Amino acid sequence: MTMQTKRFSPRDYLEENPQVRKILRIAMVIALIIIGGLLVVMAIDVYTWDGFVARTSKSVVNGLALSMLLFLMVSGFFLIFGLCDVINFAHGAFFMLGGFMGFVIYLGTEALFLDSTLPFHLIFGANQFAMSLTAFIVSALGATAILALIGGGIEFFTVRRLYGNPIAQILLTVGFMFIITQIAEIIWGPPQFSYFITPNSQIAYFFMSGILDFGEGMIFEIYRIFLIFLGLAVAAIMFVGFRKTRIGLQIQAGIEDSEMVEALGTDIRKLFTIVFMLGAGLAGLSGAVLVPWIGANSGHGLTYLIYAFVIVVIGGAHYGRFEGTFFGALIVGLSMQFTAYFIPFLENIIVFIIMAIILIIRPGGLTGHE
Amino acid sequence: MNNLLEIQDAHVYIGSFYILQGISMVVPKGEVTLLLGRNGAGKTTTMKTILGLYPPREGKVVFKGEEISNLPTHKIVNKGIGYVPDTRRIFGTLTVEQNLTVSRRKSSSRDDLQERLDLIFDLFPDMKGFLKQRAGTLSGGQQQMLAVARALVNDNDLLLIDEPTEGLSPLLAKNLINALDRLKEFATILLVEQNFRTVSKLGDNYYIFDSGKIVHEGNNMSELIADKALVAQYLGVSI
Repeated sequence: MTMQTKRFSPRDYLEENPQVRKILRIAMVIALIIIGGLLVVMAIDVYTWDGFVARTSKSVVNGLALSMLLFLMVSGFFLIFGLCDVINFAHGAFFMLGGFMGFVIYLGTEALFLDSTLPFHLIFGANQFAMSLTAFIVSALGATAILALIGGGIEFFTVRRLYGNPIAQILLTVGFMFIITQIAEIIWGPPQFSYFITPNSQIAYFFMSGILDFGEGMIFEIYRIFLIFLGLAVAAIMFVGFRKTRIGLQIQAGIEDSEMVEALGTDIRKLFTIVFMLGAGLAGLSGAVLVPWIGANSGHGLTYLIYAFVIVVIGGAHYGRFEGTFFGALIVGLSMQFTAYFIPFLENIIVFIIMAIILIIRPGGLTGHE
Repeated sequence: MNNLLEIQDAHVYIGSFYILQGISMVVPKGEVTLLLGRNGAGKTTTMKTILGLYPPREGKVVFKGEEISNLPTHKIVNKGIGYVPDTRRIFGTLTVEQNLTVSRRKSSSRDDLQERLDLIFDLFPDMKGFLKQRAGTLSGGQQQMLAVARALVNDNDLLLIDEPTEGLSPLLAKNLINALDRLKEFATILLVEQNFRTVSKLGDNYYIFDSGKIVHEGNNMSELIADKALVAQYLGVSI
């Protein structure tokens, strides 16, 4: 006979003692408040009150703008993962390519309107604002459409053959990531080169490049505030679309149980292609509208792919809902900008620290089941 | 054309497992056909074969006189088949109403939706009360009603119903069987049930499955119930 020794497990102990659990939870909240308060006091001490206000306000605006755009990009990743069960490693590359597409289309449209041999220059004449705005809208929609076609094409011709074979899917999408990144590097050079609109524009003008100055160091770039509202608007359209339209409901149902959706008479293959187009299109859109802020850069693919992973994990991937992705993006965007302004050396690792903490407390992410 | 559905010598594999080893059966129009047998005998696989989720490697499935064995699932279903899976598989994150919207096929003509809903509410009057509720929060009995209702939002000729009373209390099970009894006049039903006594009054024909084969068939339920040896051998009822 061997002796069975029961190992002590903190989780089981807490499960059996709800009161201890309750006290621990309260203690944790108090500890968090104290740590937060200490950090604020330290920050005020280091940067002075004015510096603190300026940095906080900038962190909030920039963080919200980044969060919204990350949400758009990652919701595409989440949709493809949720419905098709495909971890799309090429998603960051889609985002990066969306940036270059937005950049190229913007300049192309601008050139078209400025070319005096073509009739288009009569449309706006000297109205640079209207021309730049039109070029911006065309570039955003164009990048969305091109990436949707690329995503749909990749699904239709390659991924489709590999459903149910996760290893092959990973190899395939990693392959596409490298192919797209290499093509971008060949055309636009390595990640040392970032492409922005104003320096490359023929008239050195972008319709929304001003700043808002509230005094006390609270200076905001208008474009970033605009990005917050743009992101919110697209997110709202998506939320409503998923609640109210038939195809939105089908996608949501498919994320839960795609076989059942098929057994109820939906062409699930077609739905998969549509979701790939939608997901890649969202990556393209977010890449394109971020160009005036962070530029187009062939290195963005990998960087933002990692953010996508972190956000989906924080939000809750399996059976998680959109809300999880939204909050995940908010956490990542805000924490990155806050650390960038207050503890700069932590900027690139803060999201991983937060991810680790959240996974310890809630292994399934914010909205997912454990 | 008396048989709505016909399976001719179907051999079905799931991965490398040989599950259905030559199944032949018919489902006569307007009747209730029962598939009986123990767990793992191949009843649910037969349903999934009809739906095209596990297409037969050999043999064929004929629905309304047309071979459907090689069609994709959505095309098969769109010919008029409703499916109520075992374990319900309702969409928990959607509301009851949204579950029904998703299940409504595009090809169904718009105008008879009200008729379908009337039928659903007639069978399950309680459902009106929880239409806006998230389906994941429903009780087991309510979820089962929804699972059946989902197959009824379209005007289907054939309903495949898998273990509808599983996990329901005897009273709820009885109510559900009564509802299915009333459904007989609207559609042909193929019903899988382990506990065959609860559905014995429903069945017109039955097939008994064992290890992927049909071992017995008949059309007289009372004879089956009386045949104690057969029941003990294949239906494993130990009561």
